[in-house]
Amino acid sequence: MAGKSGRTISATPENVWKKQIFSWEGILVVIFLAVIVLCKLLSPNYTFVNVLREMPKYLTEIFLLFPMAYILMLGEIDISVGSIVCLSATAGCLISNAGVPFGAAAVLTLLVGAACGAVNGLILVKFPELPSMIITLGTQIVFRGIAEIVLGSGGSVSPTNMDGYRMIAGKIGPFPYIFFLVIISAVIFAVVSAKMKYGRSLYAIGSNRRTAFYSGIRVNKVIFIAYTLMGLFAGIAGLFLTSATYAANTTTGKGFEMDAIAMAVFGGIATTGGKGRMVGGVISAFIIICLRIGLGQINMNSQLILVIIGILLICAVLLPNITGSLRLKKRD
Amino acid sequence: MSEYVLELKGITKIFPGVKALNQVRFQLRPGEVHALMGENGAGKSTFIKVITGVHRPEEGEIFLEGRKVEFKGPRDAQAAGIAAVYQHPTSYPDLTVTENIFMNHEIKKRGMIQWKEMNREAQKYLDQLDADFKSTAEMGTLSVAQQQMVEIAKAVSTHAKIVILDEPTAALTANESEKLYRIVDKLKDEGVSIIFISHRFEDMYRLATRVTVFRDSQYIGTYEVDKITNADLIRQMVGREISDLYPKPEVKFGKELFRIERFTRTGYFKDVSISVKAGEIVGLTGLVGAGRTEVMEAVCGITGFDEGRVFLEGKEMRIKNPTDAGAAGIILLPEDRQKTGLIMSWGLGRNVTLPILDKFIHKGLIDEKEERSLAKQLLEDVDTKAVTVFDPASSLSGGNQQKVVVAKALAQDNMKVVIMDEPTKGVDVGAKAEIYQIMGELAQKGYAIIMISSEMPEIIGMCDRVYVMCSGRVTGELPRAELAQEKILEYAMEKSAGKEATA
Repeated sequence: MAGKSGRTISATPENVWKKQIFSWEGILVVIFLAVIVLCKLLSPNYTFVNVLREMPKYLTEIFLLFPMAYILMLGEIDISVGSIVCLSATAGCLISNAGVPFGAAAVLTLLVGAACGAVNGLILVKFPELPSMIITLGTQIVFRGIAEIVLGSGGSVSPTNMDGYRMIAGKIGPFPYIFFLVIISAVIFAVVSAKMKYGRSLYAIGSNRRTAFYSGIRVNKVIFIAYTLMGLFAGIAGLFLTSATYAANTTTGKGFEMDAIAMAVFGGIATTGGKGRMVGGVISAFIIICLRIGLGQINMNSQLILVIIGILLICAVLLPNITGSLRLKKRD
Repeated sequence: MSEYVLELKGITKIFPGVKALNQVRFQLRPGEVHALMGENGAGKSTFIKVITGVHRPEEGEIFLEGRKVEFKGPRDAQAAGIAAVYQHPTSYPDLTVTENIFMNHEIKKRGMIQWKEMNREAQKYLDQLDADFKSTAEMGTLSVAQQQMVEIAKAVSTHAKIVILDEPTAALTANESEKLYRIVDKLKDEGVSIIFISHRFEDMYRLATRVTVFRDSQYIGTYEVDKITNADLIRQMVGREISDLYPKPEVKFGKELFRIERFTRTGYFKDVSISVKAGEIVGLTGLVGAGRTEVMEAVCGITGFDEGRVFLEGKEMRIKNPTDAGAAGIILLPEDRQKTGLIMSWGLGRNVTLPILDKFIHKGLIDEKEERSLAKQLLEDVDTKAVTVFDPASSLSGGNQQKVVVAKALAQDNMKVVIMDEPTKGVDVGAKAEIYQIMGELAQKGYAIIMISSEMPEIIGMCDRVYVMCSGRVTGELPRAELAQEKILEYAMEKSAGKEATA
């Protein structure tokens, strides 16, 4: 073609291993190991089996991390998920108590969640000029409001037939079922975001929505799917939360959205969109869970644990900025 | 008194890893308009920032009216009477014109801002420049041209002796540019010295008496505008010979490939019909705001429209979104590379392959090796100046970014119709020639090409046929033989006071 200068452009990636180790995910692995060592020093009960035993009640939140990471990659946010967990858990209990077999009740729980997510997605796609923060703040109130109306004055409902719920809380050896489900989901979400067209579209939209649209990416479809997935996984979390706590009440899932966002951001997935990797989110989720379990074992005040995790999060977000400005200063 | 109001000697500016300026010199005479030209990345912008005190050079001396000065920051340069007007006005859109003009040097009495007096003063400056808006207007409601005028008024209000205009005409239409020329003439008559940066040769011929050329961070030479030929100047800027800037090939047209009929969107355009044959380059010109881009974006499904039909190879197409347009082979190269053309933070390779990801999918996964090697091929085909396919798009110059946009279009091998929106805007002359070359080759291969452009020379140089738009309507159609600037302008302004698309 035109005026060829014979210039060649390299298409060989740099040394991959070196890049991996010095990436944010590499640092997270180091932090993860440090947390394990620290907890082990603090608590004699901090053994593999004990940690696994305590894990299920924390693992439900990781279900929210996966689709939340996608939504953040899109440069959007969803703060209604805690309410979706509450509404779907409540609906699940009521459906089950109405005599519906557990299998069907479980599926309906997930569908309620997915429907809530689809509502968020639909509003966002139809009114792209509205910020997702405000829309999901609205639905956060609406979804929890509906759950509170349904729950009535008691404010709580327990499944009368616990058999099904007990079954999904089962274990294979020391590993609870939910652990396997989390790992399988993590792998699928990671592969989709890193290797598939849907994942590439997420990053494209998060980096520059208009260019993505001009390039033929189906922006609305991608956003709608992400929010519906978010709802579906909130439903899954609702189901497993019921199995762990034997009830759904008006405070079920409160604050879950912030935990999911914190895990993702700590994992390097920026709220501005287009950045970060699923792997980082998953590692950071396990860092936070293992730290919570360890500090819980030495009977640390649970509010204090929250303070520590909050400080850790701020440090994690600041770290790249601090090192960045140091580098700039040196160059100047 | 020295012969020069401003003189710079042996200026060297080093950024980490690069010498942005290498022993550069420059002399500005009192009351002259001095053009500064060179390709993107030649060091013009850095040089301007040295003059305005934004950057401090590692080596070199600056003399103002023969006295040696040292600028510690932009404030020093301002105080010395140097003002710069940038291509994209850096103003406060929510404030009034008055507030923008008097920003940082408000008229105060006992600490109170004197609004009435300031408004009156501002209006006085605007009147001097023949502005058609009031000093109390909100900045954000003005056009780019009007905002630029405010910036110039601001320079005048600080009693600047040296005014620097950085690509002021890049975003202006032909008659807005003409207005700017008159303002520059006026400033010159008042004894202000002007440094003028532009990629447009018309600007230089119209305004400047002398021209200084930079290339690869170095000073190449200073010439009298009357005494240097266009070809010589281009050779100095590019460092090689460009025999023909508009390499228009002779192409035998095929059948009609693409036709739009009676495209209408209330408030934007009305009854626009355009047809293109295979191998034909059709221009779509008119003043900025005439509705050219809007029509083509509607055709490609980016925005909606009220009425209109699209025919491709005689078959009517339904295009609801850009995905449909891409699938049909109608490819738009958008005007704004940074906002709609490329993802600036991404590597070049991924940018190029974004519309064609389906090609690399095996069992649901993207084959990245295959993706990279195709991207490499496409980027080399358009001769992109880059080291690897991983280089972020933001690291390239405007011209090379445009080549990446072209590569991204070429990646779509079902392409039949190419719509290029201002393909050489902000592109230096070397890259321009290459883009025209590619355009010619595409025509030879039998694609139908539509070029939206405000630049007369490229419309006249490259097009087989031209549609002229004004206020949302096609007001004229000219074959190549009848292409002339006066005629095009006549059509472009014909009905500006008459019927509008909104009517």
